[in-house]
Amino acid sequence: MEPAAATEFELERLRAQVAALSKDAVLAQLAAGVIHEINTPIASIFSNIDVMERSLEAIEAQLGAGGPPKALALLKMMRNLVQVDRMACQRISGVIRGLKLHARGEEEGLCPAHLNQLVEDSILLVGSEYKRRIAFITDLGDLPPVECNPQLIGQALLNLLVNAAQAIEAEGQVTVRTAVEGDQVLISIADTGTGMTDEVKQKIFHTAFSTKALGVGTGLGLPLTYRIITEQHRGTITFTSELGRGTTFEIRIPITTKEP
Amino acid sequence: MNPQPEIVLVDDEEMVLTSVSALLMLETECNVHTFLSPAEAIRHLETHPVDLVVSDYLMPQMNGIQLLAKSKELQPEAARVLLTGHADKGSAIQAINAVGLYHYLEKPWENAQLLMIVNSAVERTQLLRQVQAMISDLDNAHDSLKDIQTRLIKAFL
Repeated sequence: MEPAAATEFELERLRAQVAALSKDAVLAQLAAGVIHEINTPIASIFSNIDVMERSLEAIEAQLGAGGPPKALALLKMMRNLVQVDRMACQRISGVIRGLKLHARGEEEGLCPAHLNQLVEDSILLVGSEYKRRIAFITDLGDLPPVECNPQLIGQALLNLLVNAAQAIEAEGQVTVRTAVEGDQVLISIADTGTGMTDEVKQKIFHTAFSTKALGVGTGLGLPLTYRIITEQHRGTITFTSELGRGTTFEIRIPITTKEP
Repeated sequence: MNPQPEIVLVDDEEMVLTSVSALLMLETECNVHTFLSPAEAIRHLETHPVDLVVSDYLMPQMNGIQLLAKSKELQPEAARVLLTGHADKGSAIQAINAVGLYHYLEKPWENAQLLMIVNSAVERTQLLRQVQAMISDLDNAHDSLKDIQTRLIKAFL
């Protein structure tokens, strides 16, 4: 074989090898690398946030209620910022956990959690970006502790809330309702956004499908949410949507996931 | 008994050293010595008595288990804690047996849990040292009793 032909042959073989690597495997490998790389910095940030909260508390105790008003106001502001940092980190952690889940389908631990608190935390986080043009309204029922993975449910709520907010072009509202329905809890998230076409409705739970601009949507949010609710929590996720009127997602998860 | 507990903290990530030592400085009375390299930590352990060694697992040159094994050799009474980002439970369980690990923590760690482990580990080491000191006192007392007994026997015979 001529050298040029041999090189060409080698190239072809390499191309075949590259093609043989499945997209999923590459993604899973990438995800594992990202998870590993982010784990340590995020651990450090979480710890620092906690230390800052403890320090601010100590300073506040030293100053007492009669401290200089300006200093007390600054402390209050710092405590709010630290709280936002914590929520922001939880969101990053949630994404990482979501990625982990998506890549390997890992079973995570379940524990009793207060869903209304998760809803309020998530709204606080999403609201910080959208509250100028979107009103977040809550109608939270009296819920018992629900056996779930709070981080994953939080991630699912964040995904749905961000989607709801992004579906609203100018001003509008997002209404979150929770209630007990028999042995399940319901969380519904309704937006007054653009709604979906029938074609979009067919594809929303498909991986890598997005109607958002490049860099805004990854096409991973709803498939992840779907898996979190149906596979991790044996729940259901349904939606109704009308063009020009908005979309409502309804999540139902069992209060206890134990087999009867 | 050491009035201010001494802790050696080893991780090849500067940020982990900074975060954990800030927490321990704020919430404990411990004196924290931080090291980016296991070799430097070993040099410290060769010459300074410590109450607790907390080490990362994956580090260049030497892993956390190897470091803790060396620490056990140098200062068997100092408690050993592994802080692993690798979620490598198999290695940690092996370490529990091989190097007598006091505890093992996964990154991201919970500060409250870390504090609890550090406090109880330090307390355990200090109690261990107290017991050793008491045993040594008992041995001395026993020796002097034997001595008195010998002298008494000699006096009466």
